[in-house]
Amino acid sequence: MSMIDPAEVFRQEAADLIETLEQALLDLQQRPDDREIVGLAFRALHTLKGSGAMFGFTAVSDFIHEFETAFDRVRKGEATADRSLIAAALDARDHVSALIEDPDADPERGHAILAALKAAVEGGEIAGEAPVAETPLEMGEPLAEPAATSAWHIRFKLPADALTLGTNPLLLLDEMRDLGPCEVTAITEAVPALDRLEPEECHITWDVQLMAAVERDVIDDVFLFVRDDMVLSIEPLTAGEAISAHKAEAEAPAAASAGPDKAPASAAPAAPEATAQTVPAPAAPAASPVVKLVEAPAKAAPRTERNATLRVPAERLDELMDRVGELVIAQARLSQLAETLKDSALVNVAEEIERLTSSLRDTTMGTRMVPIGTLFGRFRRLVHDLSEELGKPIAFVPEGEDTELDKTVIEQLADPLVHLIRNAIDHGLERPEGRASAGKPETGTMRLSAQHRGAEVAITVSDDGRGLDAARIRARAEEAGLIAPGQQLSSDELNRMIFEPGFSTASEVTALSGRGVGMDVVKRTIDGLRGSIDVETQAGKGTTVTLRLPLTLAIIDGLLVQVGDSRYTIPLGAVEECVELDARTEADARGRSFLNLRGDLVPYLSLRDLFDVTGETGPHQKIVVVSAGSMRVGLVVDQIIGNNQTVIKQLSRLHSGIKTFSGATILGDGTVALILDVLNLVSTGQKREERGRMERLGRAA
Amino acid sequence: MSKTILVVDDSASVRQMVGMTLKQAGYSVVEASDGREALDKATSSPVDAVITDLNMPVMDGLTFIREYRATPSSNGVPIVFLTTESDAGIKAQAKEAGATGWMVKPFKTDQLLSVVRKVAGA
Amino acid sequence: MSEIAKEKDMQALTIGLQDELIALEAVRVREILDPVPITAVPHAGEFVGGLINVRGNVVPLADLRVMFGMERAAMNGDTRIVVMEIDIDDEPVMVGVLAEKVRDVADIEAGSIEDAPKVGMRWPAEFVRGIGRRGEDFIIIPDLERIFAAGTEQAAA
Repeated sequence: MSMIDPAEVFRQEAADLIETLEQALLDLQQRPDDREIVGLAFRALHTLKGSGAMFGFTAVSDFIHEFETAFDRVRKGEATADRSLIAAALDARDHVSALIEDPDADPERGHAILAALKAAVEGGEIAGEAPVAETPLEMGEPLAEPAATSAWHIRFKLPADALTLGTNPLLLLDEMRDLGPCEVTAITEAVPALDRLEPEECHITWDVQLMAAVERDVIDDVFLFVRDDMVLSIEPLTAGEAISAHKAEAEAPAAASAGPDKAPASAAPAAPEATAQTVPAPAAPAASPVVKLVEAPAKAAPRTERNATLRVPAERLDELMDRVGELVIAQARLSQLAETLKDSALVNVAEEIERLTSSLRDTTMGTRMVPIGTLFGRFRRLVHDLSEELGKPIAFVPEGEDTELDKTVIEQLADPLVHLIRNAIDHGLERPEGRASAGKPETGTMRLSAQHRGAEVAITVSDDGRGLDAARIRARAEEAGLIAPGQQLSSDELNRMIFEPGFSTASEVTALSGRGVGMDVVKRTIDGLRGSIDVETQAGKGTTVTLRLPLTLAIIDGLLVQVGDSRYTIPLGAVEECVELDARTEADARGRSFLNLRGDLVPYLSLRDLFDVTGETGPHQKIVVVSAGSMRVGLVVDQIIGNNQTVIKQLSRLHSGIKTFSGATILGDGTVALILDVLNLVSTGQKREERGRMERLGRAA
Repeated sequence: MSKTILVVDDSASVRQMVGMTLKQAGYSVVEASDGREALDKATSSPVDAVITDLNMPVMDGLTFIREYRATPSSNGVPIVFLTTESDAGIKAQAKEAGATGWMVKPFKTDQLLSVVRKVAGA
Repeated sequence: MSEIAKEKDMQALTIGLQDELIALEAVRVREILDPVPITAVPHAGEFVGGLINVRGNVVPLADLRVMFGMERAAMNGDTRIVVMEIDIDDEPVMVGVLAEKVRDVADIEAGSIEDAPKVGMRWPAEFVRGIGRRGEDFIIIPDLERIFAAGTEQAAA
């Protein structure tokens, strides 16, 4: 059995609860009177406290206890969730996170936060209330009182409804037998006549002589759950009583010997006996037929849970994905083999396996998909904090939070998005005065949205601020040596300068974004995820940054093509259509080649030229029309082989400088095929063409 | 046949810890993360004992105990509730609702087992 | 570098490239393969211009002859691919190294290893960690880290 570290489970769970708490607090700021949100926050705190204490995070639970106490006043309606309270509570939430990492984390800060919390709920006065010391456990803590007697006389009668409510007197008797030899007598005088008998009620008084030198507390504990409502007397056993017990024993021979209880001795109320009956001791508790008022066969309840979720370590999912990837490759080989051998039985099996592999692949990929909302949630806090810090009121509008994306992609997106949001708030959004004079509402809007677009997910970060300042970007780019003075750039290219290393438009270095790490980190991360960045900006209206990302990094569907001796895979998501390279192509005045696609002129590139392939071209070259960013481009190939499922293998560091390929894959016959990075390929191709044309023009001149 | 214990807690870590402890001690364990789910499970398939948290979303523990006790399937089934509260009020309320016993969080695994054995037997 | 190389004996896989014997550190060698189909990587340059499939992994194939400025003879029956682990920027990377011939595994005694002469060598001195000697033969101990670092820059350019 694999052991799970409960503390680790707690950490994960705590992270979720802290997230819930934070969201609730932020919601509360919008709707301070929403009882449901207050309840949600309180419950999160409560569970954190309880579980924290449970798994030894006492610093956490002690701190939360105070936090909870303060917050309880909000729950009871004695305090309002105003800004100061939310601020203090958010600080407290951060401190809880810190304490989970390190129980000794900054106790000074902890005290200060709690004081602020108290002040917030008490309208300024600091309460001198001492923390309520919790008794960690209530059971089985023996007092230092020495055992005064070597035997006890216990007499008890359970409340009438005890049986219904799940108290089983036999278990109580068993518990006493565990303490020492017992003489148990059932006194059945109070049992009514059969016609008046309520079979579910308990009418028997038990008389027990316990021959054990235990402390009274230990016996008290036996009755812990029932002693408040029952008749119970616990007295030291006197010598005389002990003798009478022996007499009772004599009346019931074999009583003292060990053995299973006889059925009547279980003294089911339904079978009342007229006289007292001795129950032999000690009994073998497990073997004793327990009185069951309700016939409840102890059959195993169904273990499967509805809507059950399971936490699985991420590495295991990665491992699973790797195995599935290998399976996909092996399956491709099998299919190819079956085709070559033309054995119909083998082909059938191969097709079956192909079907299974494909569904396994989809399922596995599904397990890695996480709604992006998990990430967006974090940014609410970021926006809230930045808004407070900079004095810019901001409405944060997340959209498309249900959009699912590969877990690894989501994890890697966190940092770039933080940068983009910071940048937008720091530099994009104006101060309230500035907005007012520009005729805009004082509250700025920060929109974060996600949506599926084919095999990609588009994530946009947009603000309604002042927009990018083209002149300043140019000046800064020239200053940083990123472009030559006066260099011709499209506005698109100019806007993209902000993602270049060493670029920062902030003329004043703010505490928030002027920290040396800039937007180039964004670009690098997105490139690494095989994604792309677009910037759209309108002066005075705002800026929208769009990140386009593949749904998953592990497997894509590809179109396999042949160019010269090599085969390449084009991500199917980028492919729009395939056409013959024929007379429908035309050239414009500058010698550029175009494909006339139902009236649209689409430029095209020859992959043979691009990859420096020599030799004869095939007679039936094809054009694969792909979408690259916002444009369509045709790629001329020698042959289209067909669709394939492609397990992406990253290229090694030795080839990381080559942008035209996003990775490689292993084909059915075991050879390696490169995967085209359409966007980069097209821009490389255009540059080469440009260069070639310039050279030709130069020669001509 | 092993006894089936229904463990009700919105905290997955508590459920896991309690569940693992009980399973290792030979019990069968059914889990529920709130009172509503617990009620569904306890009434659709009999259990031998219930361990429930009180503070839970959807349906809290007290309501669950009350509604469960209102069904015949709860007859004779011990219910132990978990509480972090040290005051007697919550205990009185829970007992009123029909709880059999309680445990104060935090507890250790041997304490858990002793309580379960106490109310449900081995 | 050369001091470290001389400190202790080196167990090496010796391969032949043109007329030279090259020593590859045996501990880094993972396996030796017969020639497999090589996928050319356009724009990658000649040093690591190909990719091969090694048990389901895509592994770059390097030709040390490019960096040593040697003539590149066509593959023949003796050609092998030595799969080994190289540190690039302190991270281990699996690479295939083309060998015209695999000779043997030999111990090169520390005492026999000499610094590469700064002049008079046919190969760039910075790529040679030392020259070992075995009997009448000289064995080149290449500095693979430097070679690959230089080769990567070349490919990226």
